[in-house]
Amino acid sequence: MEKDKRISVQQAAEVIKNGSSLTFSGFTIWRRPFSVVCELIRQRRKGLHLIEVNGGPHTEFLVGAGCVDIWESCWVGHELYGKYGANLSRKVAEKKILVEDYSHAEMVFRFAAAAAGAPYAVTQTSLGTDIHNPKYDMLGKAGLRDGKRIPKSKYVFTDDPFFDAGQQVMVPAVKVDVALLSVQQVGEEGTVRVNGQYYSDPEAARTADITIVVAEEIVPEEYLRRNADQNTIPGFEVDYIVECPYGAHPSGMFGRYDVDGPFLKKFYSETRTQEGFDAFAKEWIHGRDQISYLEKLGWSRMLKLRANSAMNYCPRERKRGN
Amino acid sequence: MSRFASPDEYGLADLLCCAAAREVQDNEIVFAGTGLPMVAIMLAQKTHAPDLKLIFEAGTLDGRPPELPTSVGDARCEIGASRASGLYDTFSIAQRGYVDLGFLGGAEVDQYGNVNTTCIGDYLDPELRLTGSGGNPDINSFAQRTVFIMAHERRRFVENVSYISSPGWRVKQWPGGKFVHRRELYGAAYRGGPSAIISTLGVFRFDPEDGRMYLDTFHPGTTPEKIQEQCQFTLDTSRTQGETAVPTREELQLIHEVLDPDEIFIPKV
Repeated sequence: MEKDKRISVQQAAEVIKNGSSLTFSGFTIWRRPFSVVCELIRQRRKGLHLIEVNGGPHTEFLVGAGCVDIWESCWVGHELYGKYGANLSRKVAEKKILVEDYSHAEMVFRFAAAAAGAPYAVTQTSLGTDIHNPKYDMLGKAGLRDGKRIPKSKYVFTDDPFFDAGQQVMVPAVKVDVALLSVQQVGEEGTVRVNGQYYSDPEAARTADITIVVAEEIVPEEYLRRNADQNTIPGFEVDYIVECPYGAHPSGMFGRYDVDGPFLKKFYSETRTQEGFDAFAKEWIHGRDQISYLEKLGWSRMLKLRANSAMNYCPRERKRGN
Repeated sequence: MSRFASPDEYGLADLLCCAAAREVQDNEIVFAGTGLPMVAIMLAQKTHAPDLKLIFEAGTLDGRPPELPTSVGDARCEIGASRASGLYDTFSIAQRGYVDLGFLGGAEVDQYGNVNTTCIGDYLDPELRLTGSGGNPDINSFAQRTVFIMAHERRRFVENVSYISSPGWRVKQWPGGKFVHRRELYGAAYRGGPSAIISTLGVFRFDPEDGRMYLDTFHPGTTPEKIQEQCQFTLDTSRTQGETAVPTREELQLIHEVLDPDEIFIPKV
């Protein structure tokens, strides 16, 4: 029998050290590992380097709390619940954070390269944009390009040497210390079954040195292995597992619960200033654990978000009725 | 009774949605963005383009959602889909050349269709950091045609955007930053570019040769002269076809009773 991979939310956060590079499961406002994100803020983690295919409210939590030094990605916002990442905007204006912009596809391909053990990917996206402006190489300007975690160049142009297809851009593989995933089911040995779109989770898990899976439920490994074709990530890529129901709130989870739109709207409008963020953190994060967070949200709110198990989302008809 | 709605029966969002729906042709593979474009594409699907295929960036291929998704990561996207997967699939499919049309948005646009969604002011010392590019440049690089839906204000239709997040018809060649036609940069990957900007004042298109924007149609209630006042660059108004076609009663009924009854993206008038 392998070592027991099961740890607590608190222990999961302790795996992520000051200065770690970190990535997440999910897509914008879906399947984000909020329970551990909140615990990182409680533990006052510093100097994180977030490398994300795309950001979302979890990015805003960590950035607002001052946990992040570098954000490398392409997008942050709250979809229709908040136009942009106001905490990131504020820290950029105050020059308290370094932002390295890539395009969405470039970020995906950077993860895919890393997941395949390749040093870089090649693509034809975003040619002619300011994403490739050499003056906007922020990590280079900061003297951080050590060729270890931070690649020696932001990108390199090349001409197709095989088929004369013209200019290509090489983008470096990402180097991620820890991937923090939020999913529906994980087996006792770490096999992951994601229901619905799996976004860029398989690449995130394979890329990271350490992968932590926070699941709505830990299920018998044997149950998942009966239908291996439905599984998303093999158990040996997963180092730690955490059982934490509703651990992705206020983001949504296919088949389990919808995005808590009013929560995100309120977060966006109230945390545009640092004082606003600090008040939010005091109310919702500090001095709490997952149970007291859920107690504060309350049954009626959680029931309103609960997905219909046949439809995999919460029909708006019912949401209004409750 | 006319099949077209009278001015008191529709709002600006209805007009934009219907104009956007008319950009879709049947059998096309369409890359959907969040918001009003999603309603527009589904409207096209229910009217003149029943066999269009819808790709949601987060990983849904040919989704047929029965209820309007609020974003492309939404659990609703993949209901009835041919396949639910992830971003590596959707962007590979786009780069491979499957995508005919993509819908996008922006904060600023210049006369060549370069769009900014990254920051207002100097990138190195911005007045306001926005969301960042997201998939805007990728869809705009890979699709044959892209359509932008934007609020029209003089501060948004500018001579030079603060930051080119998404490539238009004349783009920057690095390392120098000289403007060249995108055909020169994209080589074998060149497939097209921005085909229309649908703003809150009119519909704009681009000359394929010099890449400059021109006014195609203006929305009811405005004029080419008034639109020029709301652009910092000189707008070619010589090719204008007249007023933008208004929504039909059938389209309005579909938008408000079938597609977006909860007014998530399109308010009722």
